[in-house]
Amino acid sequence: MAKAEFSGPLEKIGCNCWRIPREYKAGMRVDGHIFASDKMIAIIRKDQAPDQVANVATLPGIQKASLAMPDIHWGYGFCIGGVCATDPEDGGVISPGGVGYDINCGVRLVKTNLFLDDVKPHIRELVKALFYTIPSGAGRSGKYKFDTTETRRLMGEGPRFVLGRGLGVQKDLEHTESNGLIPDGDPHQVSDHAVKRGTEQCGTLGSGNHFLEVQVVDAVLDADVAKAFGLELNQVCVMIHSGSRGLGYQVCDDALSVFRNCPEKYKFELPDRQLACAPVDSPEGRKYIAAMRAAANYGFCNRQLLMHQAREVFAQVFGRSWQDLGMDLLYDVAHNIAKLEEHDVEGVRKKVWVHRKGATRAFPAGHPDVPEQFRAVGQPVIIPGDMGRASWVLVGSAGSMEKSFGSTCHGAGRAMSRTAAKLDGAGRKIDKELEHRGVIAMAASRAGLAEEQPKAYKNVDDVVDTVHDADLSRKVARMRPIGVIKG
Amino acid sequence: MYELFEHTADLGLRVRAADLDTLFAEAAACLFAAVVEDIGTVEPRTQVTVELAGTDREFLLFDWLRDLLLKSDEDHMVFGRFEVRVRDDGLTGTAWGEPFDPARHMLAHEVKAITYHELKVVRDGDGWLAEVIVDI
Repeated sequence: MAKAEFSGPLEKIGCNCWRIPREYKAGMRVDGHIFASDKMIAIIRKDQAPDQVANVATLPGIQKASLAMPDIHWGYGFCIGGVCATDPEDGGVISPGGVGYDINCGVRLVKTNLFLDDVKPHIRELVKALFYTIPSGAGRSGKYKFDTTETRRLMGEGPRFVLGRGLGVQKDLEHTESNGLIPDGDPHQVSDHAVKRGTEQCGTLGSGNHFLEVQVVDAVLDADVAKAFGLELNQVCVMIHSGSRGLGYQVCDDALSVFRNCPEKYKFELPDRQLACAPVDSPEGRKYIAAMRAAANYGFCNRQLLMHQAREVFAQVFGRSWQDLGMDLLYDVAHNIAKLEEHDVEGVRKKVWVHRKGATRAFPAGHPDVPEQFRAVGQPVIIPGDMGRASWVLVGSAGSMEKSFGSTCHGAGRAMSRTAAKLDGAGRKIDKELEHRGVIAMAASRAGLAEEQPKAYKNVDDVVDTVHDADLSRKVARMRPIGVIKG
Repeated sequence: MYELFEHTADLGLRVRAADLDTLFAEAAACLFAAVVEDIGTVEPRTQVTVELAGTDREFLLFDWLRDLLLKSDEDHMVFGRFEVRVRDDGLTGTAWGEPFDPARHMLAHEVKAITYHELKVVRDGDGWLAEVIVDI
C-alpha cells in the first residue's frame, strides 16, 4: 500500500521548526510544531505523520502545541516522535496511545574503562557470550524468575528491589531517570494477565528495534560535558535499548479496551480510535496513570537486569570484576512515557501531563530533576541510532524548556517500512555486510536483522544536528557500534 | 486469503474472504504468520476456545486477535488453525496449536499488540475485507 504524501500546510517559523496551523483541521485546539531541518522535512512530508501531529492537537486540554521531533514517523494514533502536554485543570486527558504499548521503553548507557584496542581482540567472543547469556527475541523468558508478589514489588519499588539481591548498586538508581522509581505507581491497578506476563520477562531484551550494543566513543563534540559524563575518545561503552516487555504491552492494552468507550462517555470526538484517552481526573484516567507508572518502574528493573547480565559477561570475558572494569551506569532515560511535570505555559507555571511517545526528556543544567553530579552541565540524553552507523550522547539544553516541554528526539526514526526492509534484505547476508563495516552482529531472527538494517533508518546524525541547532539538546559524543545483539 | 502490508514501524494484516467466519479465521492465521516464520510448522495438538460478546464487528475482530495473542504470550503457545462462528451479538472461536518449541518453530516477530489504528472490517464486493495494524 503506497502511503500518501502529506499535502497540508507546513510553515517555517524558526530555526528547524515548522508549524501546522490549527486551521488545517477541524477540532485542532492548538497548532502543530515539527522540529526538522529543511532536509528532514522533505523526508517527513512523505507520509502521514504530520497529519497525526494535527490529530493529537485535537486532544482535550492540550497546551501550547502538538509537538514532533525530527525522527518522527507514521505510527498508530500518535506519530512516533511526538510530545504533547495536557493540563488537568483545563480538562486535560491522559492517553495510553501517547505513551505507547512499550511503557518506559528507553535506553541506558554503561561506561567501561576499556578502550577500543583492549576490546577489539575479544569482540567476537564478547558478542557471542552476550548473545548466549542475555535472552533476546520474541517471547523469550529470562533467568530471573519472580512470582506474582515479587513482580508487583518490582513495580512498587523499582530497581531498588533487585539491589537487595546483589543485582545492582545504589549509584545505579541515582543515574536513572526519576531515580528508577516513579512515585504513586500502584501495582494493584495492574491486571493479573499483565503481572503474569511480567513474571518471566524481567531481564530480557525482546525483539523489534531493541538491542544491546558494544560501542566505542567515535567523536567528542563537547569536551567539558564529555568530561563531566566520564566519556573520552575510543572508550568502550554498552548501550541497552528495551522496555517493560509483555507487562507494559498488557497494561496499555487493558487501558485501551476501557478507554475506547470514553469519547462517548466524556463527550469528545477523536479523529482516530487509537488516540483513545480519558480525563486525567476520571476513574479510568486515574487507574491507567497508576498502572502506567507501575509498569514504568518495571521497565527500569528490566534494563537494570539487562545491565547486570552485561556486567557479568564482561567480567567473565576480561577476567576482572565489573567494578574493576569501571562499568558504571552513565544514565538511563525513558522515551515512551507520560509524566506530571512543571512547565511554563505562556508565562504561567503549570503542572502538566507530558506525553513522550518516542521522545526523550532533556532537562537543562540547573534543573532540580537532573542528578546532582550532572546538574552543572545538564541531563545526559541517550539517543540510539541504527546498528551500522552511530548512536549519540547529548545533553539537555535550555531551549527544550521553552520549546518542547523539556524534550528532544529519541533515535534515528525509520525511513523504510519493515516489509520494504525485509524485501530489500532478501538474499543478502546483513551480518556479513555489517562485519565489513567493523560491526559483529548476532540476532535471534533473520527477519529481524533485515528489518533493522542501517538503510531502514534515517541518518541519526541528521536528526541530532537538527535538535542541536534547535537548542533542544546539544551534541556531546558520537558512539559507533562494534558489537550488536538483536532480538 | 491474507497478506502482510507495510506500515512504517509496524505491520499491517489484510484479509479477504467470502464470509465473516472465514474472514476472522484467516485474520488469526495472518497474525500467526507474522509471529512464526512458517505457520505450517505448527501442529494442532491442543485447542483453545474464545467466547466474546459484542456487536461492533471491528471491536470483535480486535478482541479475538487480542485474546489469541495474550494466550500465546502468557502460555507460550503458537497457533496454526482457526475456526470462528461470528454472530450478531458476539463470536465463538477455536484455535488449534501447541506449546512453542524452539527446535521446530522459528519466531519472526514479537507482536506487542493489536492496534485500533485504521482497523477495518468492511464489505468488499460479494465478500469481506479486514485490515488490522499490529505493533511490532
